[in-house]
Amino acid sequence: MHSAYAGEMWYIATVFFQPKTLAEALQHKADLRQGGIFIAGGTDLVVLMNHGKEAPEHLIDLSHIQSLTEIRPRDGLIELGGNVTFAQCARLPVQCLSQAALSVGGPGIREIGTLAGNLATASPAGDGSTALLALDAELELRTARGMRRLRLTDFFLDYRKTALRPDEMITKVFIPANYQTAWAKAGKRGAVNISVAAAAAALTPERRVRIALASVAPTPIRCNGAEEFLSITGLNRESILRATELVQVEVKPITDHRASADYKVHLSSVLVRRVLERLASL
Amino acid sequence: MKKRTSRKSPGSKRLQNAEQLWPLRFTLNGRKVQARVKPTQTLLDFVRLELELTGTKGACLEGECGSCYVLVDGRPMNSCLVLAPQVQDRKVLTIEGVSRGDKPDVIQQKFIECGAVQCGYCTPGLIMAAEALLARNPRPTREEFLAGLEGNICRCTGYNTILRALQEAADAMGMKR
Repeated sequence: MHSAYAGEMWYIATVFFQPKTLAEALQHKADLRQGGIFIAGGTDLVVLMNHGKEAPEHLIDLSHIQSLTEIRPRDGLIELGGNVTFAQCARLPVQCLSQAALSVGGPGIREIGTLAGNLATASPAGDGSTALLALDAELELRTARGMRRLRLTDFFLDYRKTALRPDEMITKVFIPANYQTAWAKAGKRGAVNISVAAAAAALTPERRVRIALASVAPTPIRCNGAEEFLSITGLNRESILRATELVQVEVKPITDHRASADYKVHLSSVLVRRVLERLASL
Repeated sequence: MKKRTSRKSPGSKRLQNAEQLWPLRFTLNGRKVQARVKPTQTLLDFVRLELELTGTKGACLEGECGSCYVLVDGRPMNSCLVLAPQVQDRKVLTIEGVSRGDKPDVIQQKFIECGAVQCGYCTPGLIMAAEALLARNPRPTREEFLAGLEGNICRCTGYNTILRALQEAADAMGMKR
Protein backbone atom coordinates (compact mmCIF):
# COMPACT_ATOMS: atom_id res chain seq x y z
CA MET A 1 0.00 0.00 0.00
CA HIS A 2 1.16 3.51 -0.50
CA SER A 3 0.67 6.07 2.20
CA ALA A 4 0.96 9.81 2.15
CA TYR A 5 3.45 11.56 4.41
CA ALA A 6 3.20 15.37 4.64
CA GLY A 7 1.55 15.51 1.27
CA GLU A 8 4.18 13.36 -0.38
CA MET A 9 3.57 9.92 -1.81
CA TRP A 10 5.80 7.04 -0.74
CA TYR A 11 5.84 3.95 -2.85
CA ILE A 12 6.86 0.40 -2.26
CA ALA A 13 8.53 -0.58 -5.52
CA THR A 14 7.49 -3.97 -6.77
CA VAL A 15 10.08 -6.61 -7.55
CA PHE A 16 9.06 -8.47 -10.69
CA PHE A 17 10.03 -11.96 -11.78
CA GLN A 18 9.13 -13.47 -15.11
CA PRO A 19 10.16 -17.12 -15.08
CA LYS A 20 10.04 -19.16 -18.30
CA THR A 21 9.57 -22.49 -16.55
CA LEU A 22 7.27 -23.84 -13.87
CA ALA A 23 10.22 -25.08 -11.79
CA GLU A 24 11.72 -21.56 -11.67
CA ALA A 25 8.39 -20.04 -10.68
CA LEU A 26 7.84 -22.52 -7.86
CA GLN A 27 11.41 -22.13 -6.62
CA HIS A 28 11.00 -18.35 -6.56
CA LYS A 29 7.81 -18.68 -4.57
CA ALA A 30 9.54 -21.00 -2.11
CA ASP A 31 12.50 -18.62 -1.76
CA LEU A 32 10.21 -15.70 -1.03
CA ARG A 33 8.28 -17.80 1.47
CA GLN A 34 4.88 -16.12 1.57
CA GLY A 35 5.97 -12.81 0.13
CA GLY A 36 5.43 -13.42 -3.59
CA ILE A 37 2.16 -13.22 -5.45
CA PHE A 38 1.63 -15.25 -8.61
CA ILE A 39 0.11 -13.21 -11.39
CA ALA A 40 -1.30 -15.06 -14.39
CA GLY A 41 -3.79 -12.98 -16.39
CA GLY A 42 -4.06 -10.38 -13.64
CA THR A 43 -7.63 -9.39 -14.47
CA ASP A 44 -8.50 -9.44 -10.75
CA LEU A 45 -5.18 -8.32 -9.27
CA VAL A 46 -4.45 -5.43 -11.66
CA VAL A 47 -7.91 -3.93 -11.03
CA LEU A 48 -7.06 -3.81 -7.32
CA MET A 49 -3.66 -2.31 -8.13
CA ASN A 50 -5.23 0.30 -10.45
CA HIS A 51 -7.54 1.35 -7.65
CA GLY A 52 -4.76 1.48 -5.06
CA LYS A 53 -6.14 -1.43 -3.04
CA GLU A 54 -3.20 -3.75 -3.59
CA ALA A 55 0.51 -3.05 -3.92
CA PRO A 56 2.37 -6.35 -4.14
CA GLU A 57 6.00 -6.33 -3.07
CA HIS A 58 6.98 -9.28 -5.26
CA LEU A 59 5.15 -10.39 -8.36
CA ILE A 60 5.89 -13.72 -10.02
CA ASP A 61 4.51 -13.44 -13.55
CA LEU A 62 3.32 -16.75 -14.97
CA SER A 63 2.35 -15.37 -18.38
CA HIS A 64 5.53 -16.56 -20.09
CA ILE A 65 5.42 -20.18 -18.91
CA GLN A 66 4.49 -21.93 -22.14
CA SER A 67 3.81 -25.35 -20.61
CA LEU A 68 0.92 -23.94 -18.57
CA THR A 69 -1.07 -22.89 -21.65
CA GLU A 70 -1.64 -26.42 -22.94
CA ILE A 71 -4.91 -28.34 -23.26
CA ARG A 72 -4.52 -32.11 -23.56
CA PRO A 73 -6.93 -35.06 -23.62
CA ARG A 74 -5.72 -37.76 -21.23
CA ASP A 75 -7.43 -40.97 -20.03
CA GLY A 76 -10.96 -39.77 -20.74
CA LEU A 77 -10.19 -36.45 -19.05
CA ILE A 78 -9.28 -33.08 -20.47
CA GLU A 79 -6.21 -31.59 -18.85
CA LEU A 80 -6.16 -27.78 -18.76
CA GLY A 81 -2.92 -25.98 -17.87
CA GLY A 82 -3.03 -23.21 -15.27
CA ASN A 83 -2.60 -20.48 -17.92
CA VAL A 84 -5.51 -21.65 -20.08
CA THR A 85 -7.60 -18.54 -20.77
CA PHE A 86 -11.36 -18.10 -20.96
CA ALA A 87 -10.93 -17.60 -24.72
CA GLN A 88 -9.42 -21.10 -24.91
CA CYS A 89 -12.16 -22.53 -22.66
CA ALA A 90 -14.81 -21.01 -24.93
CA ARG A 91 -13.61 -23.33 -27.71
CA LEU A 92 -13.81 -26.55 -25.62
CA PRO A 93 -16.48 -29.16 -26.46
CA VAL A 94 -17.78 -29.03 -22.86
CA GLN A 95 -20.94 -26.97 -22.94
CA CYS A 96 -21.21 -25.67 -19.39
CA LEU A 97 -17.56 -24.60 -19.36
CA SER A 98 -17.48 -23.08 -22.85
CA GLN A 99 -20.68 -21.14 -22.22
CA ALA A 100 -19.55 -20.04 -18.78
CA ALA A 101 -16.28 -18.87 -20.35
CA LEU A 102 -18.17 -16.94 -23.04
CA SER A 103 -20.22 -15.22 -20.33
CA VAL A 104 -17.07 -13.86 -18.65
CA GLY A 105 -16.17 -10.24 -19.48
CA GLY A 106 -15.74 -9.28 -23.12
CA PRO A 107 -13.34 -10.60 -25.79
CA GLY A 108 -10.39 -8.70 -24.28
CA ILE A 109 -10.83 -10.02 -20.75
CA ARG A 110 -11.35 -13.56 -22.03
CA GLU A 111 -7.98 -13.41 -23.80
CA ILE A 112 -6.25 -12.34 -20.57
CA GLY A 113 -8.08 -14.02 -17.68
CA THR A 114 -7.29 -17.62 -16.78
CA LEU A 115 -9.44 -20.43 -15.43
CA ALA A 116 -6.95 -21.18 -12.65
CA GLY A 117 -6.96 -17.49 -11.70
CA ASN A 118 -10.74 -17.61 -11.45
CA LEU A 119 -10.38 -20.51 -8.99
CA ALA A 120 -7.66 -18.82 -6.94
CA THR A 121 -9.62 -15.58 -6.63
CA ALA A 122 -12.48 -17.76 -5.36
CA SER A 123 -15.18 -15.18 -5.91
CA PRO A 124 -18.62 -16.58 -5.06
CA ALA A 125 -19.64 -15.24 -8.49
CA GLY A 126 -16.86 -17.10 -10.34
CA ASP A 127 -18.46 -18.42 -13.52
CA GLY A 128 -15.53 -20.65 -14.41
CA SER A 129 -15.38 -22.02 -10.85
CA THR A 130 -19.08 -22.86 -10.94
CA ALA A 131 -18.90 -24.71 -14.26
CA LEU A 132 -15.90 -26.66 -12.97
CA LEU A 133 -17.74 -27.59 -9.75
CA ALA A 134 -20.54 -29.21 -11.77
CA LEU A 135 -17.90 -31.08 -13.75
CA ASP A 136 -16.35 -32.72 -10.65
CA ALA A 137 -13.09 -31.03 -11.66
CA GLU A 138 -9.87 -32.03 -9.97
CA LEU A 139 -6.86 -29.78 -9.43
CA GLU A 140 -3.15 -30.38 -9.55
CA LEU A 141 -1.46 -28.16 -6.96
CA ARG A 142 2.31 -27.84 -6.96
CA THR A 143 5.03 -26.46 -4.75
CA ALA A 144 8.79 -26.50 -5.30
CA ARG A 145 8.88 -29.70 -3.27
CA GLY A 146 5.90 -31.67 -4.40
CA MET A 147 2.48 -32.09 -5.90
CA ARG A 148 -0.98 -33.08 -4.73
CA ARG A 149 -4.34 -33.63 -6.35
CA LEU A 150 -7.44 -32.07 -4.83
CA ARG A 151 -11.09 -32.38 -5.77
CA LEU A 152 -12.60 -28.97 -6.48
CA THR A 153 -15.44 -29.76 -4.06
CA ASP A 154 -12.79 -29.65 -1.30
CA PHE A 155 -11.16 -26.46 -2.59
CA PHE A 156 -13.53 -23.64 -1.65
CA LEU A 157 -13.56 -23.18 2.12
CA ASP A 158 -15.28 -19.85 2.80
CA TYR A 159 -15.73 -16.39 1.31
CA ARG A 160 -12.63 -15.98 -0.90
CA LYS A 161 -10.85 -18.65 1.15
CA THR A 162 -9.48 -21.78 -0.48
CA ALA A 163 -7.48 -24.85 0.43
CA LEU A 164 -4.58 -23.48 -1.63
CA ARG A 165 -1.51 -23.34 0.63
CA PRO A 166 0.67 -20.21 0.61
CA ASP A 167 3.40 -21.75 -1.52
CA GLU A 168 1.14 -23.68 -3.90
CA MET A 169 0.19 -22.98 -7.49
CA ILE A 170 -2.79 -24.37 -9.42
CA THR A 171 -0.88 -25.99 -12.28
CA LYS A 172 -3.59 -28.13 -13.88
CA VAL A 173 -7.35 -28.57 -13.92
CA PHE A 174 -8.77 -31.95 -14.96
CA ILE A 175 -12.31 -32.25 -16.28
CA PRO A 176 -14.23 -35.22 -17.68
CA ALA A 177 -14.81 -35.19 -21.44
CA ASN A 178 -17.97 -37.30 -21.38
CA TYR A 179 -20.39 -35.43 -19.10
CA GLN A 180 -23.48 -33.96 -20.69
CA THR A 181 -23.72 -30.39 -19.39
CA ALA A 182 -25.72 -27.14 -19.44
CA TRP A 183 -25.19 -23.53 -18.29
CA ALA A 184 -27.48 -20.60 -17.46
CA LYS A 185 -26.62 -17.18 -16.09
CA ALA A 186 -28.54 -14.09 -15.09
CA GLY A 187 -26.78 -10.74 -14.97
CA LYS A 188 -27.55 -7.09 -15.40
CA ARG A 189 -26.46 -6.76 -19.00
CA GLY A 190 -25.61 -9.10 -21.86
CA ALA A 191 -21.84 -8.97 -21.43
CA VAL A 192 -19.05 -7.83 -19.06
CA ASN A 193 -21.34 -9.05 -16.45
CA ILE A 194 -21.02 -10.42 -12.93
CA SER A 195 -23.56 -13.12 -12.20
CA VAL A 196 -26.55 -12.17 -10.08
CA ALA A 197 -26.81 -15.94 -10.10
CA ALA A 198 -25.61 -18.66 -12.45
CA ALA A 199 -26.18 -22.41 -12.65
CA ALA A 200 -24.24 -25.28 -14.17
CA ALA A 201 -25.53 -28.84 -14.39
CA ALA A 202 -23.98 -32.07 -15.57
CA LEU A 203 -25.15 -35.61 -16.17
CA THR A 204 -22.49 -38.29 -15.67
CA PRO A 205 -22.38 -41.42 -17.88
CA GLU A 206 -23.86 -43.23 -14.82
CA ARG A 207 -26.82 -40.80 -15.04
CA ARG A 208 -25.91 -39.04 -11.80
CA VAL A 209 -26.77 -35.35 -11.70
CA ARG A 210 -24.44 -32.54 -10.65
CA ILE A 211 -25.71 -29.02 -9.92
CA ALA A 212 -23.55 -26.00 -9.10
CA LEU A 213 -24.56 -22.40 -8.42
CA ALA A 214 -22.74 -19.06 -8.39
CA SER A 215 -23.44 -15.94 -6.29
CA VAL A 216 -25.85 -17.54 -3.82
CA ALA A 217 -23.47 -18.46 -0.97
CA PRO A 218 -20.02 -17.37 0.31
CA THR A 219 -18.45 -19.65 -2.31
CA PRO A 220 -19.67 -21.29 -5.50
CA ILE A 221 -21.66 -24.29 -4.23
CA ARG A 222 -22.94 -27.72 -5.18
CA CYS A 223 -26.59 -28.55 -4.39
CA ASN A 224 -26.10 -31.93 -2.77
CA GLY A 225 -29.69 -32.40 -1.62
CA ALA A 226 -31.16 -31.83 -5.07
CA GLU A 227 -28.45 -33.99 -6.64
CA GLU A 228 -29.20 -36.93 -4.32
CA PHE A 229 -32.90 -36.62 -4.96
CA LEU A 230 -32.48 -36.57 -8.74
CA SER A 231 -30.11 -39.51 -8.69
CA ILE A 232 -32.95 -41.55 -7.21
CA THR A 233 -35.83 -40.20 -9.28
CA GLY A 234 -34.10 -39.50 -12.58
CA LEU A 235 -34.81 -36.38 -14.63
CA ASN A 236 -38.44 -35.72 -15.49
CA ARG A 237 -40.78 -32.75 -15.24
CA GLU A 238 -41.98 -33.53 -11.72
CA SER A 239 -38.61 -34.44 -10.26
CA ILE A 240 -37.05 -31.29 -11.72
CA LEU A 241 -39.75 -29.13 -10.10
CA ARG A 242 -39.19 -30.84 -6.76
CA ALA A 243 -35.41 -30.40 -7.15
CA THR A 244 -35.81 -26.66 -7.69
CA GLU A 245 -37.65 -26.50 -4.36
CA LEU A 246 -34.78 -28.32 -2.67
CA VAL A 247 -32.35 -25.87 -4.26
CA GLN A 248 -34.22 -22.95 -2.68
CA VAL A 249 -33.46 -24.38 0.75
CA GLU A 250 -29.82 -25.09 -0.03
CA VAL A 251 -28.78 -21.63 -1.23
CA LYS A 252 -27.72 -18.97 1.26
CA PRO A 253 -27.60 -15.70 -0.66
CA ILE A 254 -27.18 -12.24 0.82
CA THR A 255 -28.84 -9.02 -0.22
CA ASP A 256 -26.32 -6.80 -1.98
CA HIS A 257 -26.12 -4.13 -4.67
CA ARG A 258 -26.86 -6.71 -7.35
CA ALA A 259 -30.10 -8.14 -5.97
CA SER A 260 -32.04 -9.04 -2.84
CA ALA A 261 -31.55 -12.39 -1.17
CA ASP A 262 -35.18 -13.31 -1.92
CA TYR A 263 -34.72 -12.61 -5.59
CA LYS A 264 -31.55 -14.69 -5.74
CA VAL A 265 -33.36 -17.63 -4.11
CA HIS A 266 -36.05 -17.36 -6.77
CA LEU A 267 -33.46 -16.97 -9.52
CA SER A 268 -31.60 -20.07 -8.31
CA SER A 269 -34.62 -22.28 -8.80
CA VAL A 270 -35.41 -20.77 -12.21
CA LEU A 271 -31.84 -21.22 -13.47
CA VAL A 272 -31.61 -24.76 -12.07
CA ARG A 273 -34.90 -25.65 -13.78
CA ARG A 274 -33.53 -24.32 -17.07
CA VAL A 275 -30.28 -26.26 -16.97
CA LEU A 276 -31.97 -29.48 -15.84
CA GLU A 277 -34.63 -29.24 -18.53
CA ARG A 278 -31.88 -28.81 -21.08
CA LEU A 279 -30.07 -31.89 -19.73
CA ALA A 280 -33.29 -33.89 -19.91
CA SER A 281 -34.06 -32.44 -23.37
CA LEU A 282 -37.48 -31.36 -22.07
CA MET B 1 -4.42 -12.17 -2.27
CA LYS B 2 -1.64 -11.60 0.16
CA LYS B 3 -1.23 -8.29 1.87
CA ARG B 4 2.30 -7.04 2.19
CA THR B 5 3.79 -8.73 5.22
CA SER B 6 7.07 -6.99 5.97
CA ARG B 7 6.94 -3.30 6.80
CA LYS B 8 9.62 -1.21 5.19
CA SER B 9 10.20 2.17 6.71
CA PRO B 10 8.19 4.70 4.73
CA GLY B 11 11.32 6.81 4.51
CA SER B 12 13.03 4.36 2.16
CA LYS B 13 11.83 5.78 -1.10
CA ARG B 14 12.66 3.07 -3.58
CA LEU B 15 10.71 4.05 -6.64
CA GLN B 16 13.65 5.47 -8.53
CA ASN B 17 15.86 2.50 -7.81
CA ALA B 18 17.01 1.39 -11.26
CA GLU B 19 17.43 -2.17 -9.97
CA GLN B 20 13.67 -2.48 -9.80
CA LEU B 21 12.88 -1.25 -13.28
CA TRP B 22 12.08 -3.99 -15.77
CA PRO B 23 14.09 -4.16 -19.02
CA LEU B 24 11.15 -4.36 -21.41
CA ARG B 25 11.55 -5.27 -25.04
CA PHE B 26 8.70 -5.94 -27.42
CA THR B 27 7.41 -5.03 -30.85
CA LEU B 28 5.03 -2.09 -31.03
CA ASN B 29 3.27 -1.30 -34.29
CA GLY B 30 5.97 -3.14 -36.20
CA ARG B 31 8.94 -1.47 -34.47
CA LYS B 32 11.16 -2.89 -31.78
CA VAL B 33 10.89 -1.04 -28.47
CA GLN B 34 13.28 -1.23 -25.53
CA ALA B 35 12.64 0.61 -22.30
CA ARG B 36 13.05 0.32 -18.56
CA VAL B 37 9.62 0.30 -16.96
CA LYS B 38 8.15 0.28 -13.51
CA PRO B 39 6.88 -3.31 -13.37
CA THR B 40 3.47 -2.37 -12.01
CA GLN B 41 2.84 0.10 -14.81
CA THR B 42 0.01 -1.07 -17.03
CA LEU B 43 0.53 -1.39 -20.76
CA LEU B 44 -2.05 1.41 -21.12
CA ASP B 45 -0.03 3.82 -18.97
CA PHE B 46 3.21 2.77 -20.63
CA VAL B 47 2.09 3.53 -24.18
CA ARG B 48 0.30 6.75 -23.17
CA LEU B 49 2.69 8.25 -20.63
CA GLU B 50 6.11 6.91 -21.64
CA LEU B 51 5.70 6.55 -25.42
CA GLU B 52 3.16 9.38 -25.72
CA LEU B 53 0.92 7.29 -27.95
CA THR B 54 -2.31 8.73 -26.63
CA GLY B 55 -4.69 7.12 -29.13
CA THR B 56 -5.36 4.31 -26.66
CA LYS B 57 -7.77 5.60 -24.02
CA GLY B 58 -8.27 4.73 -20.38
CA ALA B 59 -11.56 5.16 -18.59
CA CYS B 60 -12.74 2.54 -16.11
CA LEU B 61 -9.35 0.85 -15.43
CA GLU B 62 -11.17 -2.38 -14.59
CA GLY B 63 -12.02 -3.96 -17.93
CA GLU B 64 -15.60 -2.74 -18.14
CA CYS B 65 -15.47 -0.26 -21.01
CA GLY B 66 -13.02 -1.49 -23.67
CA SER B 67 -11.68 1.97 -24.51
CA CYS B 68 -8.12 0.70 -23.90
CA TYR B 69 -8.20 -2.25 -26.33
CA VAL B 70 -4.96 -3.12 -28.08
CA LEU B 71 -3.96 -6.29 -29.94
CA VAL B 72 -1.31 -8.52 -28.39
CA ASP B 73 -0.09 -11.16 -30.85
CA GLY B 74 -3.29 -10.43 -32.78
CA ARG B 75 -5.61 -10.95 -29.82
CA PRO B 76 -7.71 -8.14 -28.34
CA MET B 77 -6.81 -7.23 -24.77
CA ASN B 78 -7.75 -4.54 -22.27
CA SER B 79 -4.41 -2.76 -21.91
CA CYS B 80 -5.49 -1.40 -18.50
CA LEU B 81 -5.37 -4.97 -17.14
CA VAL B 82 -2.03 -6.00 -18.61
CA LEU B 83 1.20 -5.03 -16.88
CA ALA B 84 3.78 -3.66 -19.31
CA PRO B 85 6.36 -6.41 -18.55
CA GLN B 86 3.78 -9.04 -19.50
CA VAL B 87 4.11 -8.12 -23.20
CA GLN B 88 7.81 -9.00 -23.13
CA ASP B 89 8.78 -10.38 -26.60
CA ARG B 90 5.19 -10.03 -27.82
CA LYS B 91 3.81 -8.03 -30.75
CA VAL B 92 1.52 -5.18 -29.73
CA LEU B 93 -0.65 -3.19 -32.11
CA THR B 94 -2.26 0.07 -30.95
CA ILE B 95 -4.60 2.36 -32.86
CA GLU B 96 -1.55 4.31 -34.07
CA GLY B 97 -0.36 1.21 -35.94
CA VAL B 98 -3.63 0.65 -37.76
CA SER B 99 -3.52 3.47 -40.28
CA ARG B 100 -0.79 3.82 -42.91
CA GLY B 101 0.62 7.25 -42.19
CA ASP B 102 -2.27 9.68 -42.51
CA LYS B 103 -4.28 7.22 -44.54
CA PRO B 104 -6.98 5.52 -42.48
CA ASP B 105 -7.53 1.81 -42.96
CA VAL B 106 -10.84 0.42 -44.21
CA ILE B 107 -12.50 0.20 -40.79
CA GLN B 108 -11.41 3.71 -39.82
CA GLN B 109 -12.59 5.09 -43.18
CA LYS B 110 -16.02 3.49 -42.78
CA PHE B 111 -16.31 4.86 -39.23
CA ILE B 112 -15.81 8.34 -40.71
CA GLU B 113 -18.18 7.81 -43.62
CA CYS B 114 -20.98 6.32 -41.52
CA GLY B 115 -20.80 8.89 -38.74
CA ALA B 116 -19.86 6.17 -36.25
CA VAL B 117 -17.78 8.68 -34.27
CA GLN B 118 -19.34 11.27 -32.01
CA CYS B 119 -17.25 12.22 -28.98
CA GLY B 120 -14.67 9.71 -30.22
CA TYR B 121 -13.44 8.46 -26.85
CA CYS B 122 -14.51 4.84 -27.42
CA THR B 123 -13.51 4.82 -31.09
CA PRO B 124 -9.90 3.53 -30.84
CA GLY B 125 -11.02 0.66 -28.60
CA LEU B 126 -13.91 -0.20 -30.88
CA ILE B 127 -11.67 -0.16 -33.94
CA MET B 128 -9.15 -2.47 -32.26
CA ALA B 129 -11.95 -4.87 -31.28
CA ALA B 130 -13.22 -4.74 -34.86
CA GLU B 131 -9.74 -5.33 -36.31
CA ALA B 132 -9.46 -8.47 -34.16
CA LEU B 133 -12.95 -9.66 -35.07
CA LEU B 134 -12.62 -9.15 -38.84
CA ALA B 135 -9.14 -10.71 -38.93
CA ARG B 136 -10.59 -13.87 -37.43
CA ASN B 137 -14.00 -13.80 -39.09
CA PRO B 138 -14.23 -11.77 -42.34
CA ARG B 139 -18.00 -12.25 -42.74
CA PRO B 140 -19.58 -11.91 -39.27
CA THR B 141 -23.32 -12.15 -38.80
CA ARG B 142 -25.06 -9.36 -36.88
CA GLU B 143 -24.87 -11.55 -33.73
CA GLU B 144 -21.17 -12.16 -34.27
CA PHE B 145 -20.59 -8.41 -34.68
CA LEU B 146 -22.43 -7.79 -31.41
CA ALA B 147 -20.46 -10.52 -29.64
CA GLY B 148 -17.18 -9.15 -30.99
CA LEU B 149 -17.99 -5.68 -29.64
CA GLU B 150 -19.62 -6.72 -26.37
CA GLY B 151 -16.59 -5.58 -24.37
CA ASN B 152 -16.81 -2.00 -25.67
CA ILE B 153 -19.10 0.72 -24.39
CA CYS B 154 -20.13 3.75 -26.47
CA ARG B 155 -22.24 6.37 -24.72
CA CYS B 156 -23.04 8.52 -27.77
CA THR B 157 -24.00 6.66 -30.89
CA GLY B 158 -26.45 3.99 -29.79
CA TYR B 159 -24.23 1.59 -31.78
CA ASN B 160 -26.29 1.53 -34.97
CA THR B 161 -23.87 3.68 -36.96
CA ILE B 162 -20.98 1.61 -35.59
CA LEU B 163 -22.58 -1.62 -36.75
CA ARG B 164 -23.29 -0.09 -40.17
CA ALA B 165 -19.67 1.06 -40.46
CA LEU B 166 -18.43 -2.41 -39.60
CA GLN B 167 -20.79 -4.09 -42.03
CA GLU B 168 -19.59 -1.77 -44.79
CA ALA B 169 -15.97 -2.38 -43.81
CA ALA B 170 -16.49 -6.13 -43.97
CA ASP B 171 -18.15 -5.75 -47.39
CA ALA B 172 -15.34 -3.54 -48.68
CA MET B 173 -12.67 -5.91 -47.38
CA GLY B 174 -14.54 -8.85 -48.93
CA MET B 175 -14.56 -7.13 -52.32
CA LYS B 176 -10.83 -6.54 -52.17
CA ARG B 177 -10.20 -10.18 -51.33
